[in-house]
Formats: sequence, C-alpha cells, structure tokens
Amino acid sequence: MFKLRTLAMLAAPIGVVLIASSCDRQPGAVAPGIGKPLAHFQPGNFVCVPVKITGGGRIDYPPEQAEKNPPASHEYETFGAHVMGSGQQDANGVCLADKGALEWVDHRPEMEVNGHPLNLHATEVTFAEVATDASCTDGAVHWGGKLRVQNTGQSDLDFEVWDCDNGEPGRNDGFAISVPAIDYAVQCFTVTPADPTCYLTGGNRQFHPTH
Amino acid sequence: MNIDNFRRAVLIVGLALPMSWTAGSVAAQTARSYGVKVSTPTINQTASSAVLPPGGDMVTNSGQSIVVGSLVTAQDAFAIVTGDADATDGSNAVSSATLGAVSLLSGLITADGVVAVASSTIGGNATGSDAEGSSLANLVVNGESVSYPAPNTWMALPGVGYVVLNEQIPTGDGVTTSGITVNMIHVVLLDALTGVQTGEIIIGSASSAVGN
Repeated sequence: MFKLRTLAMLAAPIGVVLIASSCDRQPGAVAPGIGKPLAHFQPGNFVCVPVKITGGGRIDYPPEQAEKNPPASHEYETFGAHVMGSGQQDANGVCLADKGALEWVDHRPEMEVNGHPLNLHATEVTFAEVATDASCTDGAVHWGGKLRVQNTGQSDLDFEVWDCDNGEPGRNDGFAISVPAIDYAVQCFTVTPADPTCYLTGGNRQFHPTH
Repeated sequence: MNIDNFRRAVLIVGLALPMSWTAGSVAAQTARSYGVKVSTPTINQTASSAVLPPGGDMVTNSGQSIVVGSLVTAQDAFAIVTGDADATDGSNAVSSATLGAVSLLSGLITADGVVAVASSTIGGNATGSDAEGSSLANLVVNGESVSYPAPNTWMALPGVGYVVLNEQIPTGDGVTTSGITVNMIHVVLLDALTGVQTGEIIIGSASSAVGN
C-alpha cells in the first residue's frame, strides 16, 4: 500500500501538468448555431475551456416555477445528463465535447407518444462551452449534439441544453433543453436561476471546473 | 444484489476508502435505482434497474409494462443513475426511478404516478443527501386515499403486513460520507399466524451515496 501510495503521489503532479498542457484556454469559441440567442447564454459570451458538469434530477414544467406541481398532474420531467470537454476547438471554431450523455423523460400527458412518456436519448454529444455571464454561482455550460426519440425511432436530431450549477442545494440549479426538429423545448424565462433554464425540483447539477 | 447488500456496500465504501488513504483523499460515489422489486420465497425479481458503475458516467433502464405474478403490475418504469467522483471539485450522485400506473396485491395499493429521486453531494461548498423531487400521485392504500405522505409513513395492511410510504433511509456520517435510499412504496409481507416476514415489495427506489 505504501509503495502504491508513493507512486500515486509522484505520478499525480505529472498527470496534472499533462492534463493542463492539453487543455489550453481558447476563449471565444462558439457552438453550432442551432438555437436562438438567449439571455445569460448569449453567443459570444462563452469560452472554450476544460469543463465537466454532471448529475440529473427533476423539473416541473410548466409553469416556470421552482416548486413541484401536484403529483397527479404529471407535469414534470426527469433526466440524467453529463458532458465533458477538454477545451479543444475544431476547424470551424466549435468547442468540442469529449464525451457526454443525456436521458430525458417528459411525463406530461400531453407529450405522450402512443400512450407512453416522451423519451429522448442522446446518441452523440458534440459540443460544450462554458457560459461566462450566466447567473450560476458555480458554473454554466451550453452543450448539445444529436439524439433519438426512443418512442418513434426518429434519430440524428440536433439538441442543445443550458446547464446551470447554482450552488447547493440542487434545487437552486437549472436546466433547459431544445430539440428544434420536433419543436420541443423545456425552457423557463420568467422565474429561473439563469435564462433559459428551469429550476430543478429534485436532484442536482455539479459543475467541475477542473478534470 | 439486494437493497440490504447495496446499503452495506455504500457503508463499506464510505468507511473503507477514507481509511485506506492517508496521504490524500479518494472520491467515490454510488447510485442505484429501480422500478419494481419483489422478494418472496418463490419470486425474486427486480425490474427496470440501473446501477452506476465504478468511475461514474450514466446508466439507464426502462420497461413499458411490468407484471410480477399477481403481486405487481406497473407501467412505464424509467431508472436513471448518474454521478461523478471528483476529489478536487466535489462528487455527486443522482438517481431516479419513475413509474406510471402501478397496482400491488390485486389492487390493495394503487397509484398512477411514482417518482423517487435521491441526490448526494460532497466537497465543494456542501455535503448532504436528500430525496427532493420524490412524489406519489393518486395513491390509494386499502381503500384510503393518501396525499403527500410524510417520510416513513407506516400503514397496516391487515392480513398482509404493512407498508412504508416515502421511506427514507439516510446513510453515511454526513462529513466524509453521505447517502440516502428512498423507497416510495415498501410493502413488508408478514405471515398472518406467526408475524414472521415472508417477503417484500418495493416500488420506486432510488439510492445515492458519496464519499471523500
């Protein structure tokens, strides 16, 4: 155990140097323009730096509030989502994501497909950029990629999310999603930790400035 | 792995990891959720189960229609677990289990929506776990409508046993470890003559735990 610990302690600084050197700061990068410009997440107010944000939970939308809707209304969404990027840009200036995942379930009766909750599943996460002016104390990330509608098999649909870690507890955090091809969006602009995100009514988002 | 073993694993992770490293800290996280679990002398079944693997990431599972003999029917079960172990920026684990309409014991207990959410965080600015976001919709127990059951609400089921609603079981010491298990409907089956436990049914279970 002692040798292992010693080896780890010697290797750790080397690893930090290697990771840091591979994640040079590249400000000014932008994501693909698949959504509308939005307050607090304005294009141009992003930086392409190493980033990771993790977690999941529940949102009660609509209405745009931080409280749970009556359970019998079934007006809520549940999700898990994470993304990691090393701050690298492609030739078009897109801030690339290294990996990520999104599972989204909309339980609203009006969103059901063939009698079952709408279920969105990311097949690819392509970009992740850190928002510099979002009202999120710990960090905010705009990220997205491609997803599949599990209910119908529709695939290769662009999606983007706005992801806000507003400290603890998790109910201060925010999350929003848009899938333009199916005219689907869960976004809150009136009562929100940071436009266009909706307050979490359960769960937690955690921003990791280093990785 | 049943829920007791999972709780033991959470405890071991919480206790063993800090003790095994003195020169630095090791972050750890666990998360598990499932829609339905039935344990009786003749049935041992867990449906729509997701378990976070070592190292984090995300796992999901779902089932549109679950039938376990005459004990349980459930619709649209989704299990999602996610988390990350990060000694620098803080670790988190979040799990959820959701179901549509459920019926237990031939309609003795019914609900048309179940949500279990467990969330744990450690490091950064806070350490803690909670079951925020958990809920039961249109719950009826033995003919009685039950709205917004408080954590660990106990109700007798004559001739069957008892049920614990919104069961919340904290784990960890709150300093170096923190965790919670929430079981939205937990039926304990008892022998009518001896009172000995003969089995259990759990609907909507979410667990999360972190250690640093």
